[in-house]
Amino acid sequence: MRRDMSGLLLLLVMPVALIIVMALIEDAPFRDYQELKFDLLLADNDQGSLARQITDGLKHSKNFHIIDSLNGQPMTEAQLKQLLSEGKYKIGITLPAGITAEAVNSANIVVNNISQKIGMSPTMPARELRPQMFVHVFFDPVSKPAFRATITTALDKYITYSCTNILMQRLSMLSNGASAATDANMDDMKKIMQGIGVKEEPLNNRGKETMHINSVQHNVPAWAIFGMFFICIPIAGHIIKEREDGSALRIGLIPNAGGYVVMGKIIFYSLICMLQFMCMLCVGLWAMPLFGLPALYPGLHSWLLLPVSLCIGFAATAYGIFAGTVFKTITQALPYGSVSIIILSAIGGIWVPIEILPHSMQLMALASPLHWSLEAVNQVILRDGNIQSIALPLLILIATGGALWGISALINNRKYKNL
Amino acid sequence: MFAIEIRDIHKKYKGAITPALDGFSFFVLPKKIVGLLGPNGAGKTTTINILCGLVKPDSGTAIISGMDCMKEMDSIRRFIGLVPQQIALFESLTANENLLYIGRLYGLESNMLANRIRYLLERFGLDKHADKRIKAYSGGMKRRANIIASLLHEPDLLVLDEPTAGVDVQSRAMILEFMKEYKNQGKTILYTSHLMDEAEQVCDDVVIVDEGKFVINGAPKDLIKSTTNCKRLEDVFLHYTGRVVRDTPTDE
Repeated sequence: MRRDMSGLLLLLVMPVALIIVMALIEDAPFRDYQELKFDLLLADNDQGSLARQITDGLKHSKNFHIIDSLNGQPMTEAQLKQLLSEGKYKIGITLPAGITAEAVNSANIVVNNISQKIGMSPTMPARELRPQMFVHVFFDPVSKPAFRATITTALDKYITYSCTNILMQRLSMLSNGASAATDANMDDMKKIMQGIGVKEEPLNNRGKETMHINSVQHNVPAWAIFGMFFICIPIAGHIIKEREDGSALRIGLIPNAGGYVVMGKIIFYSLICMLQFMCMLCVGLWAMPLFGLPALYPGLHSWLLLPVSLCIGFAATAYGIFAGTVFKTITQALPYGSVSIIILSAIGGIWVPIEILPHSMQLMALASPLHWSLEAVNQVILRDGNIQSIALPLLILIATGGALWGISALINNRKYKNL
Repeated sequence: MFAIEIRDIHKKYKGAITPALDGFSFFVLPKKIVGLLGPNGAGKTTTINILCGLVKPDSGTAIISGMDCMKEMDSIRRFIGLVPQQIALFESLTANENLLYIGRLYGLESNMLANRIRYLLERFGLDKHADKRIKAYSGGMKRRANIIASLLHEPDLLVLDEPTAGVDVQSRAMILEFMKEYKNQGKTILYTSHLMDEAEQVCDDVVIVDEGKFVINGAPKDLIKSTTNCKRLEDVFLHYTGRVVRDTPTDE
């Protein structure tokens, strides 16, 4: 090891740089849209109570910062479109003229229908329904479909809420027959409507919040595993060099030495991989917050990361020994090692979580040892898993490493004896 | 019992047009230095590799001290020492580190190994450079270190594949002197070389092989006497193998 301190440092420093850069780059895409606050351009052509409720609702939301005036003047639809097409803003909505009147008329029709059904005469002024009116939403052309869908759903929620408010007001007027008591009854209505809601609860029973995937939770283990598997390149290089310079021949001449030497390599490189993984965890725990990112959450049973990293290291080392055995020269092994790790990482969910990949790709991921590595780590740091929950991925990693080691031994034997 | 007994060995490498060994047979008596001589591509290295279990012959038998090379190689490797043509050492380690590592893999006891390393380094004039990395050594130093690595377990049979190729006169003299000394300790040595004068000087017997076949064997002096118009072993060699250049590319 002291012979190649710079090589060892590179094995540790390069993945650190990779992890930090990737976590920073992927931070925004990984953030849930609900966590972010967007500037929203608003042109109010209605100026009615419904428009006011929608505007107030959006202003009080955590997701939108409303911009409804320009140079002290109310925003017009033409200005809104101009700003969006220039790419200065991402979202804009226009509230069409007459939308409040249409919502009130619709609410009155509903109330009158209810009155008739319970034997009362209709009391609300109503006219016939007009064709459906729309709140128009505009997006910056570069907005992604997922972003557009999320924003549209959020806006829809506010509009529905505002329309429901108007309906509630009308219904309370019906129930009291007088407008004096409206406010008190509206509060009751709100309480009734808020009686059922949705609240997220932790999956574990220790009262801790469930840690959802974010840029750090994905990128730190993912790129640490990627870096660990890249150890296959120096291992393959050493094996080929030892074969070329004759030192492998010397080992081959010593009775039973081959097995001990390979075992020594596997133990040594697996420990290096463990060290590498632990360094990456430290970066996640303490360095990521320095860059404005959340700290890595290591799970409730973080000690399990020791056997997990050892098994990943074993699989990665065996892969390096396999590459070093199969290929004759370093120039063959080098591109194979790097390209194969990139492919295995891509199909294994290192670049993007496999949950968002197509079904066929999810099936392919099962063939990648990097997938099982990430699966084992995610069990610990995302799902607060225990030994049972990581048993399958670890067994697969051990079996993969063992198979690659065995195949390498067979190939080596054949190379010497069946030339 | 012969130290080495090779009978009717055939070996053709995959993709090769001609066989490397074509019914080759020869015997080596114990406590002798025997030179295995032949032009390039004659089959010398293949023979050595078969004896050391590095190559499997297509047919024939190779026996060392009564043990079959195809069946009892692990046992044979305990008393055979091969000095290969290439420098079979870890270049980034020092000579001392290399020898310690190799000795431990042989399972030698620490004190005995340390004494053995000290003796051999001194004997081959490397004791002052024992803590230098192999890659810093000259060609002759590398050759000598390569020989030491094969002597750590005191093999009864020492096989040297062109041990003096590319070394200076002093190193060569030291290596040849050691070979004689080692034989005098009751050991057997099989050795290949293209240097006929050297073989004539050091060998008790020589075996000439050409195109994978046995040509002739005997003591150098006897062969010189029995071959017409020959004054040196080189004349004998050329008499039997001809003057046609044999430089053929090796099969990839």
